[in-house]
Amino acid sequence: MNSVSLLHWILFLPLGAAAFSAFFLRRHGAFAAWFSTLTAFIIAGLALTILTQTSEDIKWHYELGKIGGISLGFGYLIDAHARLMLFVVSFVAAWIHLFSVGYMKDDGARGRFFAGLSIFMFSILGIVVADNLLMTFIFWELVGFSSYMLIAHYFDTDFAAEASKKAFITNRIGDLGFILGIALCLKLYGTLDFAELKLQAGSAVPIALGLLLMCGFLGKSAQFPLHVWLTDAMAGPTPVSALIHAATMVAAGVYFMARISFLLAPEVLDWMAISGAGMAALAGFCALAQTDIKKSLAYSTLAHLGIMGCAIGLGHPELAVLHMAMHAFFKATLFLGAGSVIHGCHHEQDMLKMGGLLKKMPITAATFIAATLSNCAVPFFAGWYSKDAIIEASWHGGHFIVFGFLALAAVATCLYSGRMIRLVFMGAPNSKAATHAHESPWTMTLPISVLGIVYAIGAGFAANILIPHSSLQVVEKSLNAMAFHLTSPATIVGAVALILGYLSFRFYGLFVGQDSLQKISPRTYQLLEYRWMDTLYNWYIDKVQRRFAELIVFLDLLVINGLAVRWIAGGTFAALGHVSNAIFHRGQARANAIWITLGSLLFIWFLLR
Amino acid sequence: MENTTLSHHLVLAGILFVIGLSGVLIRRNLLVVYMCLELMLTASTLALVAFSRFNNTMDGAIFVFFIITVAAAEVAVGLALIVALFRQRQTVSSEKLNTLCD
Repeated sequence: MNSVSLLHWILFLPLGAAAFSAFFLRRHGAFAAWFSTLTAFIIAGLALTILTQTSEDIKWHYELGKIGGISLGFGYLIDAHARLMLFVVSFVAAWIHLFSVGYMKDDGARGRFFAGLSIFMFSILGIVVADNLLMTFIFWELVGFSSYMLIAHYFDTDFAAEASKKAFITNRIGDLGFILGIALCLKLYGTLDFAELKLQAGSAVPIALGLLLMCGFLGKSAQFPLHVWLTDAMAGPTPVSALIHAATMVAAGVYFMARISFLLAPEVLDWMAISGAGMAALAGFCALAQTDIKKSLAYSTLAHLGIMGCAIGLGHPELAVLHMAMHAFFKATLFLGAGSVIHGCHHEQDMLKMGGLLKKMPITAATFIAATLSNCAVPFFAGWYSKDAIIEASWHGGHFIVFGFLALAAVATCLYSGRMIRLVFMGAPNSKAATHAHESPWTMTLPISVLGIVYAIGAGFAANILIPHSSLQVVEKSLNAMAFHLTSPATIVGAVALILGYLSFRFYGLFVGQDSLQKISPRTYQLLEYRWMDTLYNWYIDKVQRRFAELIVFLDLLVINGLAVRWIAGGTFAALGHVSNAIFHRGQARANAIWITLGSLLFIWFLLR
Repeated sequence: MENTTLSHHLVLAGILFVIGLSGVLIRRNLLVVYMCLELMLTASTLALVAFSRFNNTMDGAIFVFFIITVAAAEVAVGLALIVALFRQRQTVSSEKLNTLCD
């Protein structure tokens, strides 16, 4: 089988699995689960084959048709970034599938859930292989749809229903900019093909193009100011959170930005660097004030996404992709570990009510701690290679503000990691649920062991063995350029951060069953809970946007529709309609009946007069 | 039967209609309101039958057949809706069913 038909299989196998599960396996949950998991592992195997068997770029294009002289196509472009991404996505997703088999065992809608996972795989793999902007956009929207479906898995709870809406609408705002960017790109260059664009885009790329295309990234990768959806998105089942945070959704934005980095003007890059680093620092500290284990991890993801965005802004897209890959391993482990903890504690998510789980759930605890150390960028763990390289890059590039923010983010990472480990695994159990906690079945511990022990620890120094070599070529070059020294700024920052992380670990042991920071400084804690961004958005929508919309409706109905089009005859009734709407429309069926009767009587009187 | 005229029938239909209408306007129990609505419909069919009888055509009578057929179906749907509504809200009072009002 040649590589193109392999890619066909990789892309369409999950679609087929999703369709089959959705149509035929809705009532056969157990079968759907194993079926979907099996296809996920087959895809991971095929992706591995692609990586080990081919080393050249793969290009394949099929023209679907032409509209107005513009070719609309469907095609594959597999370069070094795509190779790494293909491996990470399919590999991590396959283990998440296996984890879900155990985690969703008692769920009544497993058929729908696993169909959702498969369509999510299909969407993200489409973005990975796409060779043009239009195809990317279509799969981009599919990612939005499938995340909506999965976040709303528990759709009978208000929280999940609202979180899924929030994620979908926030993404839609970003996508508006994205599609305008595609239109602008078409106008400027007359093509949407990545390879042709790369040839045509010179040194002077308009700022607007980069800004518009960046909007899509802001929404999908949860960058400031469209980051608000990500922390609510954990309303979905934990494996979905792992999938969104690690392998699929948020990674899509970073990957896409790395792919079109030649279309970004220097000003756009500067903005990405500053805002990314700023958000990384902010989100890192916000993770300190969350009691929900998944929410705390969600803020951690926001911080890492900020770091990735920052790396692209610094002009190192390959480092961003590397960090995305490393982050995928340890964040998937952290989320799956959190899922295992939640499962073991009978669906208790409050960290303050956990504690002492090290002895009750040894495998989960070991993998979670390994992934946390990777998250903290302990030397020679996976996270260290990518994160410290980015911090180093900001110093070498002379972006000292960015460096400052990134250093803060590194410190914050260690602080919340220390807190999390202390609260969840150490000390004594703080609730009945934690006292009766039990280790999870093998379908759950095996994935976290593979992802956690092998990849979160080893993906860095054993990268050449664990991650197919061909996918690392690009990254290696940039890593070698950033030779590590013991006295380099990134190492110093890392060391300080780790010491502070240890202190945080001790600090959170001071009070039992309570958050130490909240006890000592409630105001700081309240500020870090980060409710003010939602408050701000609510205020804006309620007081500004809604008022504006009402004004527009009023003008449209009365002035344009009423006075301008139908003049006095129509305008009078439009005005009357407004008055009656305000005065008589009170939602009382009886009142309406009375008014209808009076109206009919008036009409009859008018006829018989 | 000899001295009944069209007017008698129409007045009867009118009285029935007004009884139904006032029931709709006054009562709050949706079930009663619904029965009153049916009464209004029946009043109109009575008028149709009367017209048919006194004008010596079958048009009105045939019309009534259709109305009754459709009304039977409509009653089934309407009652089912009221039952469903009661299960959802534990009330069928029209005063309390005003969630659509802002």
